[in-house]
Amino acid sequence: MVITPVHYIAFPLLAAFLIPLVGKISRQAARIIPGIVLTYLAFVSVTLMIEVQSTGFITETLAGWKAPWGINLVFSKFSGLLATLISFMGLIIWAYSFNFKKVETEISLKYQTLQMMMVTGALGMVLTGDIFNLFVFLEIVAISAYSLTALYRNRDGAEAAFKYLLIGSFASAFILLGIMILYTQVGTLNMAEIAVRMVDVPVGMKTLILIFFLVGFGIEAEIFPLNGWAPDAYSQAPGPVGAAFAAIVVKAGVYALIRIIFTIFDLEVAHEFLIYAGFVTMIIAELSALRQTNLKRMLAFSSIGQVGFVLVAFGIGTQTAVVGALFLMINHAVIKGLLFMSGSYLVYDTPGKEINALKGIAKQLPIVSFFFALGAFAIVGLPPFAGFWAKLWVLTAAAEKEMIMLIVIILLISVVEIIYYFRVLNKLYFEKREEQFEVVKPTVQAFTSMAILAAVIVFVGLYPDALLGFLKSASETLLDKSIYISNVLGQNMN
Amino acid sequence: METIYQDILTYSIYGSAMVLVLIGLYAVLMKKNLTKIVIGLSIMDAGLHLLFVAIGYVSNGTAPIFSPAAIESGQQMVDPVPQALVLTAIVIGFAVTAVALSLVIRLYKHHNSARIDQIKSLKW
Repeated sequence: MVITPVHYIAFPLLAAFLIPLVGKISRQAARIIPGIVLTYLAFVSVTLMIEVQSTGFITETLAGWKAPWGINLVFSKFSGLLATLISFMGLIIWAYSFNFKKVETEISLKYQTLQMMMVTGALGMVLTGDIFNLFVFLEIVAISAYSLTALYRNRDGAEAAFKYLLIGSFASAFILLGIMILYTQVGTLNMAEIAVRMVDVPVGMKTLILIFFLVGFGIEAEIFPLNGWAPDAYSQAPGPVGAAFAAIVVKAGVYALIRIIFTIFDLEVAHEFLIYAGFVTMIIAELSALRQTNLKRMLAFSSIGQVGFVLVAFGIGTQTAVVGALFLMINHAVIKGLLFMSGSYLVYDTPGKEINALKGIAKQLPIVSFFFALGAFAIVGLPPFAGFWAKLWVLTAAAEKEMIMLIVIILLISVVEIIYYFRVLNKLYFEKREEQFEVVKPTVQAFTSMAILAAVIVFVGLYPDALLGFLKSASETLLDKSIYISNVLGQNMN
Repeated sequence: METIYQDILTYSIYGSAMVLVLIGLYAVLMKKNLTKIVIGLSIMDAGLHLLFVAIGYVSNGTAPIFSPAAIESGQQMVDPVPQALVLTAIVIGFAVTAVALSLVIRLYKHHNSARIDQIKSLKW
């Protein structure tokens, strides 16, 4: 069997529908299915990443219809990097949640099915070359995310999910309108073909389409003021789902936004918007994080702030900045994943998930607290952890463009981050325990997955060069859209 | 005479699509009952779908089926792409509505109320 990008979509989708069927026979077997599929996808990622480094570009036409007419999948160095990240994080999250809260098996089967659907949708968004297909995959991600938010019946999950659904429906209406107007202007849905024909579109129309897309995808990518759903959804959803939101859903949303701005439009049109929107998102989210008393809400706001930072970095738009932005995206997925995973063990059964309830818990849960501390050090950007290098690249890019204000604000925001993360660490390690209550030790699987993420953080921090080669080639592919166009449309001539 | 009739038809279709979107928007933003909000979302979707189909319509066009008879008649075909997209969008809208209604049922059981101003455990 030849390994092609379509495996990324076909296998998890098949698995998602197999899980309920297999679950009728053996619930244990059904829980293992996602693990098998995601391990296979990790293998596919490695194979294709090696192939794409030598060939430069992998495209696949589906159902025999060639590029501008049919739907094609694009595994470039950029989209391949994100597809690898998503399937790797999917695997880690599956391992973590294998025995998480021994819920009655019916819910755990639903959870596995929905999680597989979410991974399918996110991979589809990253790989597809067709803009309507992008919308369909976005809706797959969104619908499974709504359902995952409302997974537990005993919390306010349904309320958070309904709020998310209302905002998400507006997002999809906006994206649909954008696609509609775009189609009337260029008469095609293939993104490479759109990019070619975009020069003939009048400026007013371009702006209108861009606004519709920015609002639509901005909601999924948590840009202020479109991120009202995020803190509630993160705090009401089960712990592993929070990790999946940060590592998978938001990554796919940011990818869609970046692909549309960089490939379909020109960066010049939107780079000021990206910088300002990113800034406002970052400042407001980090200041809100400072005020939170609920650990998961604090992590959610921190996550929004990180996305703002990523957008600022993409907005600067030089190659250095884009490398930094990609580095930040990977960091954010891995580190925020670790923080959500360890954090949900810290607040496992505490009422209200309050930070104040965590006083002195490090004595009872030393390993989990250690992982949380490692994540906190990494995300605020202390050397020698992974977060430091990403911030350094972005700051270097800003210095090259002589954006002094930008550097000042980024550093100030880092101080704010340090304050609220270290406040938690102070509670964990240096305050006396007031009331004793039961803590839950992590399961073996959860411990292993947290340890793997921690190892990745330390390894990337010590040897950033291992990652930088991939990031540099990915940023070249992203910045030069003629590579994308010629590789997707070039196959017609064969 | 016929062209005027067709113009009126075209504009009334675009107009009714806009009206549907506005009705849906009104229901989503102003109504307090959760079920009515979900209905509003559906109406808004319907308006968008109507608009999309109207964009692909060619006056006097035939059905987009590739056959010798259609080529010989020399008539233009309507654009099939928007129709295919709308079919997909209808299915997506159906799925979203189903999830939304099940959430409404869950909320009603949890709070004994389906009014949005009485469900305030989280900050809105």
